[in-house]
Amino acid sequence: MTTIDQTAPGSAAAATPPRFQALRKFAREFARTPTAMAGLAILIAITVLALTAPLFIHASDLNVVNAPGQPIAPPSARFPLGTDYAGRSIVPLLIWGTRPSLAIGVISTALTMVLGSAIGLLAGHYGGITSRLLMALTDWFIALPTLPLAIGLAAVLGQGDASITIAIAVTSWPGTARLIRAQTLAVEARPFIERAKALGARDGQLMVRQVLPNVAPFILVSATLTVAGSILSAATLQFLGLGNPTDVSWGSMINQAFFQGAVSAGAWWYILPPGIAILVVVLGFTLVGRAVENILNPRMAR
Amino acid sequence: MSSTSAPLSAGSLSALEAPSTDGASGARDFAHYLVRKVAAAIVSFALLLVLGFIIFSLMPSNPVEALTRGHPTSAKQIAFLTKQLGLNQPVWERFGHFVLNTLQGHLGYSWQFEEPVATLVIQRLWPTLLLMGSSTIVSILLGMWLGIRSGWRPGKLLDRTSTGTAIAFWSVPTYWLGILLLVLFSTGFGPIPPLFPAGGMSTPGAVGGLAPSHILDVARHLVLPCLTLVLVVFAQYQMIMRSSMIDELGNPYLLTARAKGLRDAEVRQKHAVPNALLPSVTLIFLQVGTMISGAITVETVYSWPGLGYLTFQALNIPDLPLLEGTFIIFSASVIVFNLLADLAYRYLDPRVRRS
Amino acid sequence: MAPLLEVRDLAVTYRSGGESVRAVRGVSFTLEPGETVGMAGESGCGKTTVALSLLRLLPASAELGGEILFKGENIVTLGWQRLRAVRWAEASVVFQGAMSALNPVRTIGEQICEPILLHEKVGQRVAETRAAELLDSVGVPSRRKASYPHELSGGQRQRVMIAMALACQPDLIIADEPTTALDVIVQAQVLELLTGLVRERQISMIVISHDLSVLGETCDRLAIMYAGRIAEIGPSRQVLGAARHPYTRILARAFPRMGDPESRMAPAGLAGEPPDLRAEITGCPFAPRCPEVIKACRSHDIDLWPAGEHRQSACIKVLDDFRAFPDSAQAALDSTEQAHAHERAGLQLEESAAGFSRADDPVLEADGLRVVFPARRGRGPARAVDDVNLTIGRGEIVALIGESGCGKSTLARALVGLIEPSDGEVRYTGSRLRYGAGALREHRRHVQLVLQDPAGALNPKQNVYDAVAEGPRLHGIRAGLTERVHDALAKAGLRPPELYVSRYPHELSGGQQQRVVIAGALALEPSVIVADEPVSSLDASVRGEILKLILNLRDQLSLGALIVSHDLGVAWNIADRVAVMYLGRIVESGPVADVLLRPRHPYTQALLSVLPDASREQPGHPLGGEPPDPTKIPTGCRFHPRCPRRAALPPGDERDELCRTVPVPVLPALREDSADTSLVACHLADLDVPALAEHSGTAG
Repeated sequence: MTTIDQTAPGSAAAATPPRFQALRKFAREFARTPTAMAGLAILIAITVLALTAPLFIHASDLNVVNAPGQPIAPPSARFPLGTDYAGRSIVPLLIWGTRPSLAIGVISTALTMVLGSAIGLLAGHYGGITSRLLMALTDWFIALPTLPLAIGLAAVLGQGDASITIAIAVTSWPGTARLIRAQTLAVEARPFIERAKALGARDGQLMVRQVLPNVAPFILVSATLTVAGSILSAATLQFLGLGNPTDVSWGSMINQAFFQGAVSAGAWWYILPPGIAILVVVLGFTLVGRAVENILNPRMAR
Repeated sequence: MSSTSAPLSAGSLSALEAPSTDGASGARDFAHYLVRKVAAAIVSFALLLVLGFIIFSLMPSNPVEALTRGHPTSAKQIAFLTKQLGLNQPVWERFGHFVLNTLQGHLGYSWQFEEPVATLVIQRLWPTLLLMGSSTIVSILLGMWLGIRSGWRPGKLLDRTSTGTAIAFWSVPTYWLGILLLVLFSTGFGPIPPLFPAGGMSTPGAVGGLAPSHILDVARHLVLPCLTLVLVVFAQYQMIMRSSMIDELGNPYLLTARAKGLRDAEVRQKHAVPNALLPSVTLIFLQVGTMISGAITVETVYSWPGLGYLTFQALNIPDLPLLEGTFIIFSASVIVFNLLADLAYRYLDPRVRRS
Repeated sequence: MAPLLEVRDLAVTYRSGGESVRAVRGVSFTLEPGETVGMAGESGCGKTTVALSLLRLLPASAELGGEILFKGENIVTLGWQRLRAVRWAEASVVFQGAMSALNPVRTIGEQICEPILLHEKVGQRVAETRAAELLDSVGVPSRRKASYPHELSGGQRQRVMIAMALACQPDLIIADEPTTALDVIVQAQVLELLTGLVRERQISMIVISHDLSVLGETCDRLAIMYAGRIAEIGPSRQVLGAARHPYTRILARAFPRMGDPESRMAPAGLAGEPPDLRAEITGCPFAPRCPEVIKACRSHDIDLWPAGEHRQSACIKVLDDFRAFPDSAQAALDSTEQAHAHERAGLQLEESAAGFSRADDPVLEADGLRVVFPARRGRGPARAVDDVNLTIGRGEIVALIGESGCGKSTLARALVGLIEPSDGEVRYTGSRLRYGAGALREHRRHVQLVLQDPAGALNPKQNVYDAVAEGPRLHGIRAGLTERVHDALAKAGLRPPELYVSRYPHELSGGQQQRVVIAGALALEPSVIVADEPVSSLDASVRGEILKLILNLRDQLSLGALIVSHDLGVAWNIADRVAVMYLGRIVESGPVADVLLRPRHPYTQALLSVLPDASREQPGHPLGGEPPDPTKIPTGCRFHPRCPRRAALPPGDERDELCRTVPVPVLPALREDSADTSLVACHLADLDVPALAEHSGTAG
């Protein structure tokens, strides 16, 4: 790192607010990582598709009744990716599938992060019996296998996106809580926390001014990677039949493909696209998340 | 490059001489540790029962209605079912019954199969163990081998390709991968002929038991589901091991080993790996939950007659007693597994062992 | 006889991500068989790089140039097979053992056997026997060979490293910072062991250290490194006693000797930073910071020139014809001017110091203070601070000296209010400190804390402005905040403040970071600063700057200070009074000149005797035993198990019983009378030990 030459003439430093300084530096580093930019491009593309889909996809494309084509027909000029079990063109289905994936992914992650971070921060900061009990409970929760729990919850709550969202959030928050708590403990062990106390900081001030800014990067990274995981979990639950039966989602597409005989028909055009779509979106979030992690926490070639 | 540092501050008592413990107190410590961990496992199990009860007995709004959906039922029949399911008893009584029953192994009665859940579970247990066991072993071996090599030289070609592959496989839905493999190797695609069966654990009607032909048959059926699970799960183990290795790379004792004249591979295997192994072991044990999730979807795709497929089948209606039963079995096994992991770690790490 | 090691023009460049750092630029020296050479310098000077390159232990990204002739073979071009055979068997390394240079999951016995089994064709049994012998020879009982590193103390681990290094009977041992991070007494024990073994077995040794005084004690010849080159090399006594390079002179002054009036109240420092090693350097790398620089220094090619018998220096002034360079006469005048200026400054400090050494205006006091840490699993309660009385007067600088485990850091934190005492009280200007939120905040306005690790003490997410403004902000001070911050930064020596306010901690050097921490404390306008090892993590030349700052603050603001340290040199440099702490009690306290020049407690004497002092003819024998454990405090006088004075008593003397059973009375904070002598907590305080030794016939 460059050091300041003490003999330099007193040129006043530019009055850039420190937050913008840090943000610009971060943006520059991010732009220099090819995988990060690729991930970001994916995310932007998917978001745009999801938001604009209603503009160019009509209800008729998604309607099971009166479908335009033959069931499970191979790709042709009219149906670039062939048709599904009901005869609908796969392309609009695929694009429409971005919506539930992103929606469930983002909302369940928001729930997870808010709950998990709050609990993690508080448990990490306040020692005490209550927080130790809380962490014991969290640890126990983490140990439970997620899919059976999610299946149980979603089954009991009834089919639908809301149930899936809740089920995913319930199974994800403990992992986040534990991670954030560990980071909080690590930050609090550092000498500048002691210095802040010596300067006169009280609990609340310590948490907000000293701890939170140093834990925030981890929260951000965790959030990005959690979205990736949520999208995968949502697709799994949808594949198992727990999603909204009338809605089109990638998971349900794979479900329909499988149970309607696409395997024996060798209908790769039906099986591949939804899976690839999931792969691409998850990859997008994962790449961005890892890049952010590397920038905020540089370690040797992680 | 060398830092100037003062002696350890007064707060760290570890700077002082730690008395060496002899074998006898070591065994006593272990007994204490064992008791503590087993007690914790029992508490976990109790909490698990509470959770199961809450989800499957308290939350469902109307199990009778769920059960009789689609069938015309008279009021009398509804009343009878309500009584049979114990739905008009107070919560505590129901919970009490539930706990007693579970501890005795009575996990309820499947609405779908009209058999005791316990029977079904026992029937389906072995196939799941076989599948999960074989894929775990292969994934761990593969994942750790790759993780060690790529973590030792981070940033080099092996590391970048294997990490990239790992991320890609992690981002893929397990079942989808299974379906693809089915299409490729079971139905046959293009030049690839059908090589493996399309599902199930063995060819229907064939000779069972321990006959070599049966074992071979099961093995053939095992290949694709096992491969699917391995492809998705090995990545986790690899990343864990890689992380652990990278953590060790900066440590001075590796420089000492090099200075002694050891070859690079020797430094890696004799010094870095034993240290990297310890945290990896715990983390890998904790991945069992992931394996179970994978097993559920993979068994479904391959119609592998295990507990996972049973869970999927329980989603019809939904068959709440069966769902509850599989949930409890899965979770309880994870608790047991974590207990074993704790004990194994304690045994392996000298720093923990002697404290 | 041919030299054992001949290094010619060694150059090491690290390449990573497009950048190349030329860490070593042309180092040449020789090592004779049986000789010990020391390499001294500050962080980044390249000394560790040189040491590691001798066995090609550098990372793959390092490029090696030049020749390293070890027993005739050139290490730089040696094949891998032969290199691995040379490693350890012919030249071995002692690293800093305290920092996990030992594999944590293998027993020390295994680790000592490892090189034996690797290099020699012997069986397991033979190797184990050898390992046991080696452990005995370094003072670690061989029954501990099945122990793991974490079960040993720092001193024991270092001994194990030494035993391991001797395992294959090498001809050369390279010791890289062998005693850093150890307590002073343990350090002395380890050094004595190492030098003894090396002499006995006629092994050559290269010792790397940042601590000049350590090297002066143990080495025949000494090389001073700066910016990747050797600045000066020669017999160690001469190099330290009559330096022929300005850098050596300054570096040596950073390790003050007790009783040296020049360093009393005159810490020596060096402003500026070492040069950036990524760039080309023309002329002398030290020129930008050299107080004796002349014009030729920046342009002339620098080399190691002869500067006396067996001596070389890279300073242009040793060339006999340096007077031929233009403006050299003026330079001579300039340098003497500067020397006079320094003298005057020193004298001024001395005078002003006299005016402020009044402890009868107490600002911060500890009265009967006790801090007990509760029992944890396996250990009893730790009486970290066990009845301490201490006073710091207005504008007074008090040094609190002790080793690890003595409780000094705990005491410091109790005085700042971060730890609530189990008994006794802390008083600020006479009023007792209470532990409610409001009272503590009030206290913070008056008593501030400076910590050891300046990089860790600053929140990496806050820039300098925010870091300094943090204190006032927490106390609700909004008005005139910018002025206050700038003012504090200027007082702390960071001028102009505008240049620094938007920088982040990682962009500053260690010295600058510590100044920011001090500025942060100053922003609250306290009357007393409690500094816990404020300069231990800093380079030697930077230490002086920070210590000077503390002195200046005392002069200009009447700012008092309690400096907690393990380093007696710090006390000599800037303190008015000193208190020596052992196992939670103050064992001796008083004016610095008295305590450090005429110590009366055996522990103080022990601390002073192990200070490596190049001018003494024979090294002192260090105290035996391990640093004490606050959970197991001995009965009677807590120092009695290690006390050489008690050991020198004639057998059967009743005073021995006294020391073992009767606790020594707790020292008051100050003498009742205003005599200038120290207070001592010892039953045998005024015994004449050498006389005793003669009487009883026991070895003194």
